Amino acid sequence: MTPPRLPLSRQPLRLIHDRIATGLITAGGIGVLLAILAIGVFLVWETLPLLTFGDALSLNTLSPLAWGTLKAALAAMLFATPIALGAAMYSALFMSARLRGRIKPMLELMEAIPGVVVGFIAGLLLAPWVEQHLASTLLVLVWLPLSAGLAGMLWYVASAKVRQWLPLSWAGVWLMPWLAIMITLALWLAPLLEHAWFGGDLRRMLDQQYGLDYATRNALIVGIAMGFAVIPSIYSLAEDALADVPANLMEGAQALGASRWQALWKVALPTAGPGVFSAVMIGAGRAVGETMIVVMASGNTALFSASPFEGLRSLSASIAIELPEASPGGMTYHLLIFAALALFLFTFLVNTLAEVVRQRLRQRYQRLGGNR
Amino acid sequence: MRWLPRPPRLTAMGSLLWPWLCAASVALSLLMLATLLTLLAARGLGHFWPATLEEVTLRSGETLIGQAVREAPLPNAAGTERLYFTGNRDIDGNSWRWVALDDIATVAVPNDLIRLERAPWGDFIGRLETVESDGQRFEGDAAWAFVAQAMALPESQRPVAQLWLTAADGHRVTQPLAGVMRFQAPNAMSWHQKVSAWSGRIWQFLSEGPRAANTGGGVWPAIFGTVMMVILMSVIVTPFGVLAAIYLNEIAHQNRLTRLVRIGVRNLAGVPSIVYGVFGLGVFVYGIGGSIDSWFFEDALPSPTFGTGGLLWASLTLALLTLPVVIVATEEGLARIPDAQREGAVALGATRLEMLTRVVLPMATPAMLTGVILAVARAAGEVAPLMLVGVAKLAPQMPVDDEFPYLHLERKFMHLGYHLFDTAFHGEDVQAAIPLVFATALLLVLIVLVLNLTAIFLRHYLRRQRGNEC
Repeated sequence: MTPPRLPLSRQPLRLIHDRIATGLITAGGIGVLLAILAIGVFLVWETLPLLTFGDALSLNTLSPLAWGTLKAALAAMLFATPIALGAAMYSALFMSARLRGRIKPMLELMEAIPGVVVGFIAGLLLAPWVEQHLASTLLVLVWLPLSAGLAGMLWYVASAKVRQWLPLSWAGVWLMPWLAIMITLALWLAPLLEHAWFGGDLRRMLDQQYGLDYATRNALIVGIAMGFAVIPSIYSLAEDALADVPANLMEGAQALGASRWQALWKVALPTAGPGVFSAVMIGAGRAVGETMIVVMASGNTALFSASPFEGLRSLSASIAIELPEASPGGMTYHLLIFAALALFLFTFLVNTLAEVVRQRLRQRYQRLGGNR
Repeated sequence: MRWLPRPPRLTAMGSLLWPWLCAASVALSLLMLATLLTLLAARGLGHFWPATLEEVTLRSGETLIGQAVREAPLPNAAGTERLYFTGNRDIDGNSWRWVALDDIATVAVPNDLIRLERAPWGDFIGRLETVESDGQRFEGDAAWAFVAQAMALPESQRPVAQLWLTAADGHRVTQPLAGVMRFQAPNAMSWHQKVSAWSGRIWQFLSEGPRAANTGGGVWPAIFGTVMMVILMSVIVTPFGVLAAIYLNEIAHQNRLTRLVRIGVRNLAGVPSIVYGVFGLGVFVYGIGGSIDSWFFEDALPSPTFGTGGLLWASLTLALLTLPVVIVATEEGLARIPDAQREGAVALGATRLEMLTRVVLPMATPAMLTGVILAVARAAGEVAPLMLVGVAKLAPQMPVDDEFPYLHLERKFMHLGYHLFDTAFHGEDVQAAIPLVFATALLLVLIVLVLNLTAIFLRHYLRRQRGNEC
């Protein structure tokens, strides 16, 4: 039996429809991709007039800003990298699967918290508080890792019953109250220690002995706030890389007698190293470009100073504050666009590098017989 | 087999303790997140709770009435001081007062203390003496009953009346009833009344415009502006993002170039948002907007119509910013559809268009939806690019009204995130505005988190429903 056929005259129409639609989609797709490309072209094009300014051009105005950007990013990375990588290692390899299913999305949600909110809390609450309790803050920063180690030691000393009750695989949760208690303890102890060691006022001592000024909104605050914002992006990517390490590698190491930590340190980390590295790079890219947190928490003073207690001004903050007022075509306008170009190129390069590294890593996992 | 663990050596000690440090960093991250959210919720929602008013008598014999806000150590001496919100800016020009705890003789909470929210001058805190209306004078309980009755009516039907009020220092002021927004005697309120007053104020916060230099009123124009901008943005970004994803995944030949393009698109998601803002300002506002002005709105020049930041340019900029998010999400959805589905459709005689619209796209809808929701969540929280392309501190006109053409794309608009930034950092009385800033921040975080959670659950649900293949 012959299947019912459409009338012949309809056939070309369908084909024409198809041709037209394919053409439209192609045009639209290429158009969108070109529009994205246009960002780079525009930035370069608007930077070119800088060459006509000749001697009047001074890139020196940008150098404290570039320094501020680097300082802010460095502070944020110093705060975020250990925490994010530690969290990634723990949740990829030690945490119970059920808990991991809950905690990972929650930490990734952290990334969604808008920068304005973080910046506002940092600039208006954290900064004045830290100014009054500098010694306490520094003490807490030192005390937290020690107290975590202390928790570990106590756990090994504790009886088997307690260990069963509070297993390592759930430590990410039950350590929370412990850390809260330890922070309270540190806050209670800090004034006593400050009195004994620094003559009652750490800030005055810093000023008198080392000549360090203290600005309310400074690199320390920016580091903490932006670190908070960067933690989830580093964590998420590093965790993916670590969790995807082929299971047979880890099992092999453990079968040969390695402890879980040794397997992680000697096998998983070297294998997933590129992925972890690319996670850190992407975090750095984010820290360099973050605007609102720096605007709100840094004091916006363009300084060349390495002190963590002084303010800074970053490229992105400068763009956000000055560009709306700059007259189009003027030198400030073109300089700021040059700053934007620098940010664009930097983040684009860093991200491309990270992406290429991750693709290599994926291929390596496939070669090693991973399940993905 | 060894039953007792060997006492660990010092090097082994390290490898035993490291996992705990890692666990602690998870705990610390969670702790920070929880602290942030609790802080926002407590300070943001707590502000609307009718706070107890205290009548404080100092050792010097002076009395003051106010709401205790917080305590801090004295700057140059031992002891603590307490900050009171005393209102009455019209009487002594100052609505805050620091009092050292040692100076306080007695603290009382009498039931007849009232708090008025007034149109000019902000809050009044003190006592109600008499009410004068139509030549009649009410005193004591009658005055209270009269005011309570009047405030229950809608604003247009309230009788004309004068309130005679006394401040803590005995200063007497008159206040026309028409300027009173709210009349409360928080100390006399029952728990139930407080809850209803609290929810009423939250509703007021969501539904009214800002008043008194952002220290009172609400954020309705900012909510409206944010929503408008986000809707326009998703209308722009969805078709283009989906189109680009279909092109990349279904039509373009898969070779080195497409792989490069794909990496490029993915990386654009990591480019700082401020760069998009610069692009929007240079191309949309000065470039396209300037040209539109010189062609169509020449009579209005030199004051720009489209050549300045506005709703349209802001939406376009954010659409560009979120384009990679939509493209990546849609592409992931498309890549997950097995080729057998496509081949089946083509084998049954469908053209490519029919295959796409009837088979592939319906299967990829959840992925597209997820992408759009994620894009909306990102756009709602983004402030930096908006500072360049069209957000306003206080927009006199809403972008939508009853004037032709109803939707005014060239107008500036208010945005929750920028409103927060501006109130907190450029306000006149930041101290008084901070509670409302907290409430705004809470609202913004809630919107973004709810959108993200929706995306997560949608993805999860649809994946489970359709099996793992799509």
